[in-house]
Amino acid sequence: MKTLSEQISAVIEGEPVAVFMKGTPEMVMCGNSMRALQALHAAGAPITTVDILPDPRIRQELSEISGWPTIPQVFVKGELIGGADITEELSASGELQRKLDDELGADRSQDVKVVALEVDTA
Amino acid sequence: MKAEAIRALLEDAFPDAVELSVEDRTGTGDHFQVTLASPAFDGLALLDQHRRGNAALAEPLRDGSIHELRIKTKGTA
Repeated sequence: MKTLSEQISAVIEGEPVAVFMKGTPEMVMCGNSMRALQALHAAGAPITTVDILPDPRIRQELSEISGWPTIPQVFVKGELIGGADITEELSASGELQRKLDDELGADRSQDVKVVALEVDTA
Repeated sequence: MKAEAIRALLEDAFPDAVELSVEDRTGTGDHFQVTLASPAFDGLALLDQHRRGNAALAEPLRDGSIHELRIKTKGTA
């Protein structure tokens, strides 16, 4: 099994838009995670989410990697965009959509996908 | 945690802030809206502005005294 850190990095590097959040798109457990999802949706982003709630180590490892203390965290093509506030601001200004157009093309998929990390329970 | 305590941490980190407000959004001392304008942010990307703001509040963010933080930052240029 890959370590948690390796799994998190694989999602960040491998997914076009990765969102580390509390809950899932079907059951969002935090207002800020909801704001980030809505802002991404408005900008026409594909969204891959990871729920950080199942194990506190997910959030610890994630913040080690990103240097960002809070949840949610939004990454586009492996690059940290920010949390809910920045994602909202960039979406409202049109900058996020421009970035997505540049990085992923204007005819990108807008699928929503959920990735579950394997946590070592031993 | 009181909004005044958050404000004091930010005043220490950004003594030349031209705008600083901390609002306790829910009245429960753990959901805050911070608005901060400082020349320290001039020329910095939004991500880096927020990194600086988060750094000033690293302790209460780490120990959970701040459950939810909303930040709006801007430079003065």
